[in-house]
Amino acid sequence: MAAFPYYDAAAIGALNDQAVVLLKLFIARGYTREEPSVLQPADIFLDRYGEEIRRRTFTLTDPSGRELCLRPDITIPICKHAVDTDAKYPARISYNGIAFRHQPGTPNRPTQFFQAGVELLGLEDAAAGEAEILALSVEAMRVTGLGDFEMRFGDLALFGALVDALELPTQWRTRLKRHFWRAGYVETLLRRLGESTQAPSRADIEARLDANASAPASGRTRDEIIARALERGAEAAALRLDPAIAGVITKLFGISGPAQQAVDEIRALLKTAGIKLDAPMAAMDARLKAITALGVDPSRVLFTAHFGRNMEYYTGFVFEFWSRDSEGPVQVAGGGRYDALMEILGASKPVSAIGCALRTERMLVAKKFLGGA
Amino acid sequence: MALVIAIPSKGRLKQACDAWFAEAGLVIEQTAGARGYRASFTGLTGIDVMLLSASEIAASVLAGDVHLGITGEDLLREEAPELETRMHLVCPMGFGFADVVVAVSQYWVDVSTMADLDDVCAAYAARHRRRMRVATKYAQLTRGFFAHAGITDYRIVPSAGATEGAPAAGTAEMIVDITTTGATLRDNGLKILDDGVILKSQAQLAASLAAEWSPETRKTCEALLSRLSVKAGAPLYPALAQRLKL
Repeated sequence: MAAFPYYDAAAIGALNDQAVVLLKLFIARGYTREEPSVLQPADIFLDRYGEEIRRRTFTLTDPSGRELCLRPDITIPICKHAVDTDAKYPARISYNGIAFRHQPGTPNRPTQFFQAGVELLGLEDAAAGEAEILALSVEAMRVTGLGDFEMRFGDLALFGALVDALELPTQWRTRLKRHFWRAGYVETLLRRLGESTQAPSRADIEARLDANASAPASGRTRDEIIARALERGAEAAALRLDPAIAGVITKLFGISGPAQQAVDEIRALLKTAGIKLDAPMAAMDARLKAITALGVDPSRVLFTAHFGRNMEYYTGFVFEFWSRDSEGPVQVAGGGRYDALMEILGASKPVSAIGCALRTERMLVAKKFLGGA
Repeated sequence: MALVIAIPSKGRLKQACDAWFAEAGLVIEQTAGARGYRASFTGLTGIDVMLLSASEIAASVLAGDVHLGITGEDLLREEAPELETRMHLVCPMGFGFADVVVAVSQYWVDVSTMADLDDVCAAYAARHRRRMRVATKYAQLTRGFFAHAGITDYRIVPSAGATEGAPAAGTAEMIVDITTTGATLRDNGLKILDDGVILKSQAQLAASLAAEWSPETRKTCEALLSRLSVKAGAPLYPALAQRLKL
C-alpha cells in the first residue's frame, strides 16, 4: 500500500459497501454510530498518553498557536466525549472513519487508513461484555466475507494477578505491571531485581533535602520525596529476588500456543509454584467457551501469555484477528479491555470499557487474496 | 557545478573550524561583496564555502542543499532521527565537545537513574492526571532516549533558550539540555542522572546523501578530503564513496 493512498472508484466503492454492511450490523446490535472530528486537540492524546504516541501522531499548530493533531485513534475521542457529556451507561457506540499514523522507519506504509469499530462502555458484568464484543467482532468478520481467520488472545490482568500473588515489594509490582506490554523490558527489570545497595536513614534523607533546599521542588512535595526515598532504599537493601519467582514469570512469558493447551500449561505452572489465580483463569475459560460456541475452531485460537497490544491503554483481555494477504499473515482487527481509560480522561469513578477496531482496508485486501487463491 | 560545504558563520565553532582547516593547510577567504555569507578556500577552485548558523547547517545537510557541512552532532541527530540513512559522518572534528543530558532538581534526592525517573513520572501522572514536563530543544533525541529507557509518562515542552531555568520557573519538571562542564546546571539546582547522558557530542564533518553528487563534485570532494585526510589521520573519501554508490 502507498504512503498516501489514492482511492479510485472501485476501491472507494468497495470500502463504502463494506462500511454499509458493518454499520448496519453494529446498529442492529444496539451500537449507535458516532463520529468525532478528524482534527483533535493534541493534549487529550499527549497529556494522557505521552510522547510514545506522539512518535506516531501527526501534530500541527493552528494559527493561534494551539497544538492539534490528526486523530491517531478513534477510541480516545469517543471515550472523552462520553466522559464530557456524562453519558448513560452502559453505552454502545460504533464508528467508521479515517485515522492517521506516522510509521517510523517504514515510509511506504499508509499514513492514513479507514477503521471501523465498536466501544462498549460501563457494562458492569465483565464476562458478558467480553462475550458480547467477541461475538460482534466475529460476526463483523463473517458479514464482510472474511470468515477465514485466526485469533490471538492475551490477558494483561492475568500477569497483574500473578505479580500480585508473588512476594514482591510494592514498587516492583507497579513497575512490572506498568511495563508488561513492552517486549523484553520486563526481562531486564527481572535482572535488575537482584541488585542491592545500602538503605539511607530518614535523617540522611532529610539532611540531603535540607542541603538542596534552594533547588526547585519541580512538582513534588518534601513528604513525597522522603516516602519514596525510604521505600527505594529499603527495597534496594532488602531485595533479593527469589530465583523461583523470576523463574515462574519467565516461564509464563514462554507459554504460547493453541489456547486450550496454553491455559492448561499455565494451570500446571501455577500449581507447581503454589499460586492460585482462580478468577483470571476462570475468565479465560469463559472466553474460550464463548468463542467455541460462536463456531470458531478452537485450534485456530492462539494464546500468548506475553501479549499486550501496542497501545498502552489496555488493562485486561486483549485479542487480535489475523488473516492473510500476498505478503503473509496480516492483522485485520484487534481490541480488548481498557478499564482505566475513562478515569484517565476525567471520569469521576471507574467505568468498565471494552472495544474492537477493524482495519477495514486490510480486510478487503485479505478477502480478495483468499477469494482469488 | 561546485562542491558546496557549509561551515559555522560565527562564534567559537567558527574559530575552531578556521583553525582546523589552517592546520590542514587550507585558508578560508571571504568572497568580496557576499556580506560574509560566502567564502572559498585560497588556491582551491570548484568549492563554495557557505557560512551558516550551526542549526541551519544541520538542516541543509539533511535537505541536500549542501554536499558537506560542519556542525554539532547533537544538531545533526536532532534534525535527522534516522541519521545513518540520510547522511554520512565523514570525521569527528575534535572540538565543540558537549553532552546532551537528562537533568532533574537536586532536591529530588531519591532520583539518580532513569529507572527512578520512570517511577516518579508514573506516580506523578497517576496522582495529577497529567504528565511531567520535559523542557528541551532536543525533542527527537529526548523521545528516542526516553522510549529506550521505558519512560512514557512525560511530555515535552519546547524550549527556545535558557532551558536550565525551566524547573525553577515552574514551566517544566525536568530538562534535556546540552552541557560541557555541568556548571550551569548546578547553578540552577539541577543534577545529571547517572545514566542520563543521551549523546556525547562534538562537531562533525557530515556529508549529505540527499545532495546532487555529479561526477565533478565527487572529484572535487575526493581532492578536498584527501587533503584533510592528513590532518584527520585516516583516509576519508573511500567510506563516503561507498555510501554514495548505494
